[in-house]
Amino acid sequence: MPHVEVLPNSATQIAPGWTYVVDTGYDPSKIAINPKNKKRAAANPNQRGENELSSRQQTAIARRIAELNRDNDPKQIISIPGKTSIPKTQNARRIIQYQRQIKHWLDDEEAQLALVQQAPLPRSATTASRLAAQPLRRTSTVPPTPSELTPAPAAPTPNKPMSSRMDLDDDPLLAIDSSMPLPISQPDLDALLSAPPLSYAASHVAAPAPGGPPQRHFCDNCGYWGKIRCLKCGARVCGMECKDAHEATRCLKWT
Amino acid sequence: MAPKKKAKASVPSQTLVIDNGAYTLKAGLVSNEAVDLSYDDCSVIPNCIARSSRDKRTYVASELAECKDFGELAFRRPVEKGFIVNWEAQKAIWEHEIMGADAGTELWCEPKNTNLLLTEKPNCPKELQKNCDEIVFEQFEFAAYYRCVGGAMNAYHSAFLGALPQECLLLIDTSYSDTTILPVYKGQLLHSAVRRLTVGGKLLTNYLKELSSLRHYNMLEETYLLNEIKEAVSFVAPTTQQFSKDLERTWKGRLGDKRELDSSIVLDYVLPDYEQSVHGYVRPHDPAKSRMRRGLQPLQGPREDLLPLGNERFAVPELLFNPADIGIREVGLPGAVIEALSGLPESLRVAMLANVVVVGGNTLIPGFMDRLEGELRTLVPSQYLLNIVRADDPIKHTWLGAARFASRPDLMKEALVTKAEYDERGSTWLGKKFAGGDR
Ligand SMILES: [Zn+2]
Ligand SMILES: [Zn+2]
Repeated sequence: MPHVEVLPNSATQIAPGWTYVVDTGYDPSKIAINPKNKKRAAANPNQRGENELSSRQQTAIARRIAELNRDNDPKQIISIPGKTSIPKTQNARRIIQYQRQIKHWLDDEEAQLALVQQAPLPRSATTASRLAAQPLRRTSTVPPTPSELTPAPAAPTPNKPMSSRMDLDDDPLLAIDSSMPLPISQPDLDALLSAPPLSYAASHVAAPAPGGPPQRHFCDNCGYWGKIRCLKCGARVCGMECKDAHEATRCLKWT
Repeated sequence: MAPKKKAKASVPSQTLVIDNGAYTLKAGLVSNEAVDLSYDDCSVIPNCIARSSRDKRTYVASELAECKDFGELAFRRPVEKGFIVNWEAQKAIWEHEIMGADAGTELWCEPKNTNLLLTEKPNCPKELQKNCDEIVFEQFEFAAYYRCVGGAMNAYHSAFLGALPQECLLLIDTSYSDTTILPVYKGQLLHSAVRRLTVGGKLLTNYLKELSSLRHYNMLEETYLLNEIKEAVSFVAPTTQQFSKDLERTWKGRLGDKRELDSSIVLDYVLPDYEQSVHGYVRPHDPAKSRMRRGLQPLQGPREDLLPLGNERFAVPELLFNPADIGIREVGLPGAVIEALSGLPESLRVAMLANVVVVGGNTLIPGFMDRLEGELRTLVPSQYLLNIVRADDPIKHTWLGAARFASRPDLMKEALVTKAEYDERGSTWLGKKFAGGDR
């Protein structure tokens, strides 16, 4: 059998002879959380306008996304079976012995960039917290001209343009039936080709533009539209039945 | 491309090509001037070490095929967020599959007589690149080596020798770790325009696991099973309007106003018992049976565990198009494509839109391509040519592009760095060279 446990909110509550196993397998609050996240979330409270989320809610969302996006479980130790070659150089030995996770390398990268910029840490060092708890990174709506893309150290907060249909719509040069678009000039092309990679954090796409479709909200329990907001944790539910289930299971789970 | 340099000592005539993904690694040996390379030359191998607490066995990579009980199977993956992070595990897997005595004949090679072409995801932290380069030369001692962003290799699919890379290619790679958008010009990645979406197959599987564990059974230790279920039942709603309709059709209704679930969407997944069956299967939803859950079934005779799947089928892959549904503050994939293009001059945008290629396992979710093309169409003015295709084999396609590159002595001569050069000039120089910095 796979490891499945009937949940207390399921239909088998009255099953004779059945004992419940309390769901203990999943407690993200035990996972070490960078204390910086909380401060940063608190520092940017009302960023969402109509959907004002408290810093606690933002932290909860960030924690959940980090959990969904995790690669390896640090609590699980799986050792390498059988014989493997021994490290051949000091370098190789050091690298093979690293037990760091990607999070540590990405934090290092951000710290390095901040150092290069001689500026305070530009944003929360962990990607997950940034996803849910950071304000819009890109304030400029002016697309960079290729000449602005000249080689420079990878900036942690590049001026990346906001995307919108208008970007393309307004441009008659894009039309197939009009004359060919102006060919790109060689210096512009060279600048584009030699532009350095963005940092991992900076490579993520922007949040939806404020004027776009409103965020959809779903019932935390059954996945239908979430029309009712839980006063304790801010989650949405579809009705009273799911509200009861929510309070019995996930309410405040991520905070 | 790499710069002209003095003629160097000749390199081996065979190249090991590895597209080293987080979920699977794609690998094959390619000989110089091979002419009829195909997907068949590529082996797809789980890039993990798995430990079963039941049979107390540890499965390394391809050994996973011998596993008969995936219950509570724990995974160790050397690649995190697309980048090789844990070299202890990656080395063990490479040695097991490629350099070791137990390696299959198709892949076995002696690194000292072999070049390595290794792909990576874009925006890899430099320190991890450096670790990788040092291990390749100092531990494995490959004769020569080229590390590059895998997506860009898809510009080299032209079958004939001497062919130029495609001038403009917009590659979308939606795979296990994440989804990346890579504008490629004449085989070169336009780094400043690369964009990334957090959502990949891993997040989708974990999301389905979370939902199932909330709504039905605690299945949090069953990652393997939930991945199988995801692959069996997921579909992408064709439009956001249809998404809303499907959400209605799969709602249970309110207390006192219960609704019939739409059996054209709701399915029952019959879970494997890992005794008689290793894999589960799907069948139409039967409300009577699903009420008769585990505790009510007879102890004698066949018993089965059913996982009913309703809105999970389409709400999970929907995250590729609406990451904000679970609070990820990113636009969906079509918007991400537009954002990537918006950093390019018009002439390149036009050419990129006319040649969009999509690779990666998430493209296999039914409805994915139609939704992507449909939404892109609404974002791109109608008079512009939008040509978007899924690779015939979205899993192996990047490998094949890299293999075709590796079969071309003219390209490899410029790209490869020999071990002697590395020994002389070191890993910092090598990192710069692969980043195009010694132009
Ligand atoms: Zn509900
Ligand atoms: Zn609540």
